[in-house]
Amino acid sequence: MPARQAIASGLKRRLLLLLLTPLLLLASLNTWFDFRSADSASLQQDRQLLSLVPLLSASVVARGATETDPPVMLMAPPIEDFLNQRRGLAAFALVGRYGSVLLGDLWLSGMPPATGEAEFSSQEFDGVTFRIVSQRMKTPAGELVLRLADGSDPRQQWLRRLWIKVALPNFILVVAAFFAVNWAVRHALRPLLALKDAVERRSPRDLSAMDAEGVPEEVRPLVESLNRLFDLVNAQAESQRSFVADAAHQLRTPLAALQAQVEAWAQAVTSTAAQADPGRVYMENTPPVLVDIEHTAITLEASQVYRLRQAVRRTSQLANQLLALSRADSRSAHIQPVQRVDLQELCEVMLETHLDAATAKNIDLGLEAAQVHASGHTWLLRELLSNLVDNAIRYTQRGGRVTLRCGWGVAPDGSAQPFLEVEDNGPGVPEAERVHLLERFYRVPGTLGEGTGLGLAIADEIARVHSSQLQVLQGQGGCGLRMRVCLPA
Amino acid sequence: MRLLLVEDDVMVASGIKLGLCGAGYAVDWVGSAERALEVSRTESFDLAVIDIGLPGMDGLELTQVLRKEGRTMPVLILTARDALQDRVQGLDLGGDDYMVKPFELPELLARLRALLRRSQAATSATLSFGPLELDTALRQACVRPTGAAGPCVPIELGPREWTVMEYLMLQAPKPANKDKLLQALTGWDKEITPNAVEVYISRLRGKLEPHGLALRSIRGFGYRLELLAPPPDAAPAPTAGA
Repeated sequence: MPARQAIASGLKRRLLLLLLTPLLLLASLNTWFDFRSADSASLQQDRQLLSLVPLLSASVVARGATETDPPVMLMAPPIEDFLNQRRGLAAFALVGRYGSVLLGDLWLSGMPPATGEAEFSSQEFDGVTFRIVSQRMKTPAGELVLRLADGSDPRQQWLRRLWIKVALPNFILVVAAFFAVNWAVRHALRPLLALKDAVERRSPRDLSAMDAEGVPEEVRPLVESLNRLFDLVNAQAESQRSFVADAAHQLRTPLAALQAQVEAWAQAVTSTAAQADPGRVYMENTPPVLVDIEHTAITLEASQVYRLRQAVRRTSQLANQLLALSRADSRSAHIQPVQRVDLQELCEVMLETHLDAATAKNIDLGLEAAQVHASGHTWLLRELLSNLVDNAIRYTQRGGRVTLRCGWGVAPDGSAQPFLEVEDNGPGVPEAERVHLLERFYRVPGTLGEGTGLGLAIADEIARVHSSQLQVLQGQGGCGLRMRVCLPA
Repeated sequence: MRLLLVEDDVMVASGIKLGLCGAGYAVDWVGSAERALEVSRTESFDLAVIDIGLPGMDGLELTQVLRKEGRTMPVLILTARDALQDRVQGLDLGGDDYMVKPFELPELLARLRALLRRSQAATSATLSFGPLELDTALRQACVRPTGAAGPCVPIELGPREWTVMEYLMLQAPKPANKDKLLQALTGWDKEITPNAVEVYISRLRGKLEPHGLALRSIRGFGYRLELLAPPPDAAPAPTAGA
């Protein structure tokens, strides 16, 4: 999961950053443009107000009757329209020299501008922001300050509504865009993540080509180069495997010769000893054997011949097992068609094969076989079972008990599943050592057997070919080992 | 017993020859299939041990030709290949058994003995295992005392005991399946129980054990006829001499 997040956040962060930064910039730019356009709108308003000022001045037709009376006005139609159209949102005032309102809305009082130029100001009244123009002008009623106020234009509402009207839509847009982009990025990355999962799920042994279908075309070159790499590694592994297989195979011919010779000597020793004293076949001081090589006789102790034979047998076994391992390992095992294997028959054959070895150690080799079939490769399963039985007999003490079992077990999903099992009541293996048990050439420290350290590795390899694995369990009653393989039905 | 050994590798051949001679067989060794055919036309052999990988005509072909020429002796095929395919092919083409090189001599000897016993059973009426002889024509069993050429000491067997004994003899040195044994006995009794088989076995044990023969129970499988004393070629445990 951390890896998944790393890939996702890496690419996602970049995409989000690259998409959202320009978007934010655009939104800010948009806000700024809105400000600007509002600004120009307010300029127009000022101009309109300014254009109305002379008309207002012209509307003043005469002084009031007395000094305190307001001047007489005859509203010019544009002013009339202006005030009528914006009822409540427009106002005017004629302000005297000292700031008092002579005529119009009283709230528009205030000191007159210092110069003759028009002055603009903003003022809030009754909850509405008004734009106000003030200008001193000569009128028939003397010099007056003319004031016009307009509260109808957005310009005046603008500062208050700026955030709601301009910034908020932009903000919402950015947030929506963030979610949209986030969603889009996640969906766009989905095939890539699926690809990564597919690579991650692979067993280290599976080097078959990956499916380039359904992969985005930008990623296809990546998949193709991965496949090329797989091919390369495959070819290399395959050549290594075939080298081991060839080497083991080539070794077996001279070994067969060597073994045939040594077996014959050992046979000669045994029969000589048996003739001399049938009861002492296994004794130490059997007579030496004469080996006649090109008429030069050398003398070998019987025990030396036996040791020599044992060494040769062990070397032969190693060559055989190396060959078996490289065969089980190879991809050819995966390619061969799956057969229906009679596990009961397989167990019976294995029992017969190993009966002599078990009898020699006085081991009770027994069978608990139910009628069950599995799908697999017969020769591989025979090799697997043979290694398990061989191992059990090898490491179980004299007089021990080894049981071959097959039947229906329970799969993790609750369905019935065929299994093969070999259990012994030997010394067993400490919990800590069990994890290493399936490693190649691993031997439990302190064991004196004659094993090659390959038997269980081969069994496990074969189990893997059958999409399973070798389970190392404790024997019933807490002693010995129980090796179990569940197989596809 | 005269054996024909067809093997081109001198080292392997001389080793096997030495071992077989040591076990009391007369061995004629030839290095090629062509030579083997020549020899087999003029001489007669009780058994042939043939290597698959021969120069020229290979071992499987040789077996086929031998069979075509009417030689019925059992053939044991030796091979360095251990694929199942070879085995099936070897047995289809007339080989009777099959061994993968390198092999252990005791196993080869055991297989040869089994092959010879089977071919004897096919050609003669007498089955033998160790000191025990079964005359299938007269339905008589007897035991030949070891090391002496004295007369065969007869053993009395009931009809069902005989059936069990014959079946065990035919299987030896392989174990006999108890279910198959039951099937062999159902000719006598319609309903025979596994317990009844055990009764016959225990009776046979009582009769055989004084003569150095044992019936070993194989847990969950059946029984095996064995010699009580280890046979001369039984390999001592590797560490026994050390």
